[in-house]
Amino acid sequence: MAHLLREKGFNAFILVGGLAAWRKAGQPLEPVPREDLVKLPTFS
Amino acid sequence: MSGLLSLLARHGYAVTFWMLLAEALGLPLPAAIALVGAGAAIASHTLVGTRVLGIALIALLIGDSVQFWLGRYSGWALLGFLCRLSLNPETCILRSAESFYKRGRVTIVIAKFIPGINTMAAPLAGSMKMRYSQFLLLDFAGAWFYTLTYLTVGYLSRDFLAAVLQSFYAAGRVMEVVLIVAVIAYAGYRIVQFRKFKIYDVVPRVQVADLSARLSAGERDKLLIVDVRSHGYYDKGAERIHGSIRIEPNNLEEEVKNLSKDRDLYLYCT
Repeated sequence: MAHLLREKGFNAFILVGGLAAWRKAGQPLEPVPREDLVKLPTFS
Repeated sequence: MSGLLSLLARHGYAVTFWMLLAEALGLPLPAAIALVGAGAAIASHTLVGTRVLGIALIALLIGDSVQFWLGRYSGWALLGFLCRLSLNPETCILRSAESFYKRGRVTIVIAKFIPGINTMAAPLAGSMKMRYSQFLLLDFAGAWFYTLTYLTVGYLSRDFLAAVLQSFYAAGRVMEVVLIVAVIAYAGYRIVQFRKFKIYDVVPRVQVADLSARLSAGERDKLLIVDVRSHGYYDKGAERIHGSIRIEPNNLEEEVKNLSKDRDLYLYCT
């Protein structure tokens, strides 16, 4: 996805280790907003 | 060559079962060819049609069910792994998800005929929390349709296949050389494709400490932290990096319209 964004002209980087590494480093987190939780399509 | 044919003749049911199970589990094996061969064997009364059909359906339903439940509990991690087998992880996931968006549930029925999506449909359905009973019903229809189609092709083209095999025997060593060359050419093609998509590995990677340092230096207005997870967003109580925004990976074209190209994007997933 980062590559696709770069193709579109965005200066995109990948955060090594993702959320797990961020959490492990003790960096601040926040709850996922409620409106985002229902954004994905599901069959349920 | 003759050894392989002999093996197929003696273990037709087992070969059909394991080939279809392996394909349903995501391995890149030509299961459709196995079905065509089985169809020809049915036509020549070497195998029993109903038995082949039953074995094929069981193999596909077992494999797809395993994929469904793995998709339910591992989500995009499994999809990413399966897509790695197709050499183009990004497009593979997005293409499969897009198919679900466009066609909905019917994707399960036709997926086995679409290369790339065939392996992804079951775990994607699991990841998207489709009810298992509903999945099983649709998957059964798809497996039935797929199996019957290729068995019928094999059944109807028995004479043609027999002629091809006779040509193999007649040409003998020449055909073996042709086959070896074809295999080498195919392997070469896959290597070229692999190298082509290695560009995905050259996207710059940044450590947590480096990003944290930029934030501490007051550069938040020069960057955006982008959450590109999908599966995590099904779960209530999920967390994300403070101040990050979300981009739905399945809807990239629309999502990027609101993004500024003046800010660096730091993408993360689970």
